[in-house]
Amino acid sequence: MKATAPVVYIVDDDEAVRGSLRMLMRSVGLQAQALGSAREFLDGYDRHQSGCLVLDVRMPGMSGMELQQQLNQRGATIPVIFISGHGDVPMAVEAMQHGAFDFLQKPFRDQELLDRVQRALARDAQSRASLAAGAQIRERIESLTPRELQVMQLVTQGKANKVVGATLGVSQRTVEIHRAHVMEKMHARSLAELVRMVLDAEDATQNP
Amino acid sequence: MKADLQALLDACVDAIIIIDHQGMVQTFNAAACRIFGYPSDEVLGRNVSMLMSEVHARQHDGYLHHYFETGEERVIGIGREVMARRRDGSEFPVSLAVGRVAGAEPARFVGLLHDLTSRRRQEQQRRAAEEAVREARERLTHVARLSTLGEMTTGLAHELNQPLTAIATYARAAERLAGQGPAQHEEVVSALQQIAAQALRAGEIIKRLRLLVRNRETQEELLDLNALVRELVILAQSDARANGVQLQLELAPVLPMVLGDAIQLQQVMLNLVRNAIDAVCADAGSERTVRLCTAPCDEGVEMGVLDAGPGIDPAIRARLFEAFATTKPEGTGLGLAISRSIIESHRGKLNWRANAPRGSCFYFHLPAVSGGS
Repeated sequence: MKATAPVVYIVDDDEAVRGSLRMLMRSVGLQAQALGSAREFLDGYDRHQSGCLVLDVRMPGMSGMELQQQLNQRGATIPVIFISGHGDVPMAVEAMQHGAFDFLQKPFRDQELLDRVQRALARDAQSRASLAAGAQIRERIESLTPRELQVMQLVTQGKANKVVGATLGVSQRTVEIHRAHVMEKMHARSLAELVRMVLDAEDATQNP
Repeated sequence: MKADLQALLDACVDAIIIIDHQGMVQTFNAAACRIFGYPSDEVLGRNVSMLMSEVHARQHDGYLHHYFETGEERVIGIGREVMARRRDGSEFPVSLAVGRVAGAEPARFVGLLHDLTSRRRQEQQRRAAEEAVREARERLTHVARLSTLGEMTTGLAHELNQPLTAIATYARAAERLAGQGPAQHEEVVSALQQIAAQALRAGEIIKRLRLLVRNRETQEELLDLNALVRELVILAQSDARANGVQLQLELAPVLPMVLGDAIQLQQVMLNLVRNAIDAVCADAGSERTVRLCTAPCDEGVEMGVLDAGPGIDPAIRARLFEAFATTKPEGTGLGLAISRSIIESHRGKLNWRANAPRGSCFYFHLPAVSGGS
């Protein structure tokens, strides 16, 4: 899951178009996989695989827009670049509202598409990294004892050791020991870093 | 008896002329005077060839000689259409029957001439009227074709965009790969092959389009309906794709040939396919597939377009093929009416039946050409 290269998925019902896109991706050293229908893509989709999706809007069977909705329902975060043969403004607006990464009209300049693909891959990598970081932080938080957790919460709210001790009914020395354990278990090098981790973890639990 | 005969000659509406063995006129009745414009005394005793068109006149004496020498009858008892000449020199068509007077020696011949001028005129008028109807129908057919294609412009543009996109993308990919050394040689070649194929694909779409746009007279030829369906799909695909509809071909492996105008028959098919696409798009529950089927049948060959749309409201089934009967907001109501008139001019029938489990089947029969292959 960590070391595999990202894959550019291409879904277009036109064999020539998807074949040419796959070759274009490979010509710049990207891994690409071309599929003829939205159904085929969904059936083989692995959410752990990083990458992005280049998707034709109109296809027989499940349309590109329907596929996007399915992905949204599954909580898949893969960035979607729509390509369309029509200068279909309302459709582009709708796709963007549903979180599409971008919308391109056929025929397009290869560099235009490649730039967007690179940006989409960068965003996917970033969101995957922050998700992974969130999961790591949660893991570390779970390793804290109940007392250490209390200390961390108070400390990250900006309370001094003395106040924390008074609140919890323990000595300042005890608070210092707990606090050292928290910093060690959380791999935090400073209070600021600890604060950011706690905030990230809260963000991650609020917006999974 | 003589008076009876004279009354008969005078009352007859056709010209009656009796000549002797040398071709001299002996009897010239009232109708003959009227038709040819001669008083009888200007004709009696003169050679009958004066009443004939120049071509016949030159040969008439020869005919008589030939008859007396060989006894071979060329006109007698047979009847034929010839050109006659009036007093004013104008020529006109007559139907001529000749008989020999029994027992008369030297020989005498009776000629009965019916003036065909007015019948010819009527025929010409009828033919002109038919021609006008045919021309009007062809014009309407052509206009309907143009308007159909006009409605399809967006889809057709998209259909052309596909090969163009592929060509542009393959070309750029090949350019990049070519810069990466001989290891990519094979890929580059494959891109070039694809580019050539896609350029032909775009050309084929344009060719189909131009054939349909062209205004031309009906041309009947021996046709394979399967081939027509396959060609049509190149154009119909644009509409289908734009609406997310899949076209399925179910073509009979062996199909008798039919006689017809390829463009007009494709116009009918296109109309039926577009209706079917509209039907499956009309309600969300329909399966988005349209089937194009061909099969041999009792009447010859059947071509059907099947959809699983909502079907046809029983209230409008009876008026389905009438002009201006439409259920579509932007419809002209001419599509099916024109389609039916095209099929009928091909000696066929266009009809509707319910499709199982739901939807419509519009189909037409055309007579097979026996022995044609």
